[in-house]
Amino acid sequence: MGAMLLVAAVAAGDSRQTRTLADYRDFRSLSIDLAGRFPTRDEIATLERPDFDRSTWIDAHLSGPQYAARLTRIYMDLLRLEVGNAVQVTPPATTLRRIQLVGPDKKALYVYYRRGQRRTREATDGEFCMTSVETGLELTFGQPPKGTPIEVKKEVLDANTVVVRPWWLYRDYVEMTPTKRYGAEWTDFDASYVPSDKLRKEADGSPTIEVRVCREEAQVRDMGTIYVTGRVPPLKGATPLPPRLRPLPLDDGYAKTHKGEPLSCRDGLAVSMSVDCGCGIGLQYCMPGDSDANDPGGFMLPTHSPVGLDAALPLAEQNVSTWYKYWWTQELEHFLSHLFTEDRDFRELLTAKYSWVNGPLAQYYRSTAPAGCCGRERAFGLIEDKEPLFAQASVPPSLFAHDAATWLSVPDRGPQASGILSMPVFLGKYASRRARAAVVYNAFLCKSFVASDAELLPSTEPNLMIRPGCSSCHATLEPLAAYFSRVEESTSVYLPGAQFPIKNPLCKLQKNGKPSGFCDAFYDPAFTDGAAGTMRGAYASPTNAEAGMLGLAHVVTTSPEFASCAVSRVTSSLIGRTLSQDDDTLVHALTDVFVHGNYRMKPLVTAILRSDAYRNVNNRRVDANATVEVPGAPPHDAIHGGGP
Amino acid sequence: MRLTPLALLLAAACGPPSTITPAADVPLREIARSQEDTTTKQDLRLVPPEVYIRSYLQLFGGLAPQEVQTRARGADGGQLFDAWDDYLAALGLPDYKLDLPRAQQTNAIMVAAFERLAVALCDRAVERDLKANPPLPLSERVVFAFEAPNKLDDAGFASRFDVLHRTFLGYPAALAPGRIKDFHGLYSSIVAHHATASKKSRFSPTEAGWAAVCYGLARHPEFHLY
Repeated sequence: MGAMLLVAAVAAGDSRQTRTLADYRDFRSLSIDLAGRFPTRDEIATLERPDFDRSTWIDAHLSGPQYAARLTRIYMDLLRLEVGNAVQVTPPATTLRRIQLVGPDKKALYVYYRRGQRRTREATDGEFCMTSVETGLELTFGQPPKGTPIEVKKEVLDANTVVVRPWWLYRDYVEMTPTKRYGAEWTDFDASYVPSDKLRKEADGSPTIEVRVCREEAQVRDMGTIYVTGRVPPLKGATPLPPRLRPLPLDDGYAKTHKGEPLSCRDGLAVSMSVDCGCGIGLQYCMPGDSDANDPGGFMLPTHSPVGLDAALPLAEQNVSTWYKYWWTQELEHFLSHLFTEDRDFRELLTAKYSWVNGPLAQYYRSTAPAGCCGRERAFGLIEDKEPLFAQASVPPSLFAHDAATWLSVPDRGPQASGILSMPVFLGKYASRRARAAVVYNAFLCKSFVASDAELLPSTEPNLMIRPGCSSCHATLEPLAAYFSRVEESTSVYLPGAQFPIKNPLCKLQKNGKPSGFCDAFYDPAFTDGAAGTMRGAYASPTNAEAGMLGLAHVVTTSPEFASCAVSRVTSSLIGRTLSQDDDTLVHALTDVFVHGNYRMKPLVTAILRSDAYRNVNNRRVDANATVEVPGAPPHDAIHGGGP
Repeated sequence: MRLTPLALLLAAACGPPSTITPAADVPLREIARSQEDTTTKQDLRLVPPEVYIRSYLQLFGGLAPQEVQTRARGADGGQLFDAWDDYLAALGLPDYKLDLPRAQQTNAIMVAAFERLAVALCDRAVERDLKANPPLPLSERVVFAFEAPNKLDDAGFASRFDVLHRTFLGYPAALAPGRIKDFHGLYSSIVAHHATASKKSRFSPTEAGWAAVCYGLARHPEFHLY
């Protein structure tokens, strides 16, 4: 009977337009590029209607998320902005690791702590808050605990630890008595906020109601004081006094001269220079780890999200670093999505002050990013990240760390913000000044560094812009790299001019012909003389070093190659092949469209999709002009049932 | 006789050294002339794996990846589907963390992944669209959006095949010369063999026939290229 239905439907009126195979293929291409999937039968039926208008269809799809995803893919393929496992984001000041002990009730017990935490108790100063005598375990950072755990006495436990209802388990952790526990009273949590089972369960499998944490780590004040012990260094070769495994922490020069002065508990230094700084209310400034490993596990995340966060692949447990790095990439994707869906000026990719953050990123910018500062920097008087790439005041205060699905616009990240260049995902992926410069040069100016065939002779010339064999690339690369001089390569801490002048007399050559030891990390001995040291990376162009990332963004976006490079990238991707000289006319015409359209992508993409180059690309192997007199087929809905 | 090779060797060793002396460059002799084709060479493009995955999810009824994985794996021990993570690299997705670029061309592993995913899609679609009890309304069928009677004439097959052809390849089957006939042959052959097969199948001959047609389209080069 079904067949009869079909036949009847076939005989029904045919209001569809005659379409060629090229039309269908073109429509399929448009759907793949703008809708991100194959066309459905219903959509094909739309094509076959007499009133179908290609331009209208394109315009309607140039605002959707899949259009933005299509353009994002071009630049993600180019820049590969996901940070790999080589980069760890576990600052001691904000990483809570945990040790499994045996409690007074003979049950397994987890205790959270920070590595290097200063404590007034000498036996545990800079160590875990209970000794090996009290726990039976010898703790060596980065290695599994050694020994046989013994029952920790209740008075020892109470003296050195407290219980907390932490942020990762309680939605209302800021309350005096939090009650909304994840998965119990708190059920409307964001789908992408999933603490691992290990964070939510005790060793015996029962749900975790509270966590036990070392007393110092649980402190909630915002300001502490610089702690000085007056200890003298041990004699050479002396062994640490039992039960300590490591020597006692000593006062450094900065601490001695600033004894008792106030110190922000959000500084990275606080954990190692103060005994009265902790992780804040509900431990909100720290990330929990499920072990004592260097990069412990923490939260569940999809290993990949190739079709977007709303259709993420199954979750897997990830370590603390991956949590941060995942959200770094998501910040970039939100930024790009906004740029393309709102059809912003494409130059904002490198120049924009704005960005988007969610809860995990807000927590990162509030606590973990500042914790990268200031160890070596304090010798220059920098004890807090004074000019962070993402200003603290710009972090939306309403975002909790577990608001993973809530994204808020940040109109201005601060004076150093410069599009993607100042984002952690870019600085983490490309960790050196030269790598950063090279990828910008290639991605946005479509130029590459190709070594000349000059003979490489042994040379002691430190200036790579003139060293034979090196100069062909470095004469260009070094001045570009200089724009990143003020961003520390390992931590992305911004080095302010007040503490770090490009030419620093503090770091001049001493009588022994060397600069002071503390200078080496920031000032290049190869470009230091009797008057001053030169900031690392800045030797090629102090002017560029002062101009910073915004200076680079300006130079790149105003260079004549910028527009044609963007046009070539997008055109090449949409027509699916490398462009050749044969395409110069097309590229010139499209560049005109792009520039006169104020560097917006929609006019450019529209022009590409209307070009013969795009329409012909998928008709190479077939008789594209074949037509079908819509084969007396029935109105689509009659037999297809309107399926997707 | 035994000394002869040695004598030859000694004679050669004592002879004048063979040397290669420089000679003036001489152009190669011209044997023919032909025109160089400098026009842009272009071929069909590989559908981006993101598009493939999103379309695959849609053909599964617009489900989320986790749900598709659960449904595709099923509980019948058919081992039709492993896990998404097992397929991502094979489908050509880039891995930005590892700096692995996007695959621009097919390869044997990718084609094998296409095949495995196609079988999972088509078999589960037969179960959902054709085997459901009570029968699923046509309006809710995603892939086999038609009735599937046991006996079909040429026109009956063509109209149903056109539904699948549009679903997978995006245009009417009549625009592909000979394809309806070829696939009708495939369908008829599978139905006939299935009806006489000694081994019992969970699919009826008709269902197996449509599953095979579905495999053919979901593995067709036109499905993966554009």
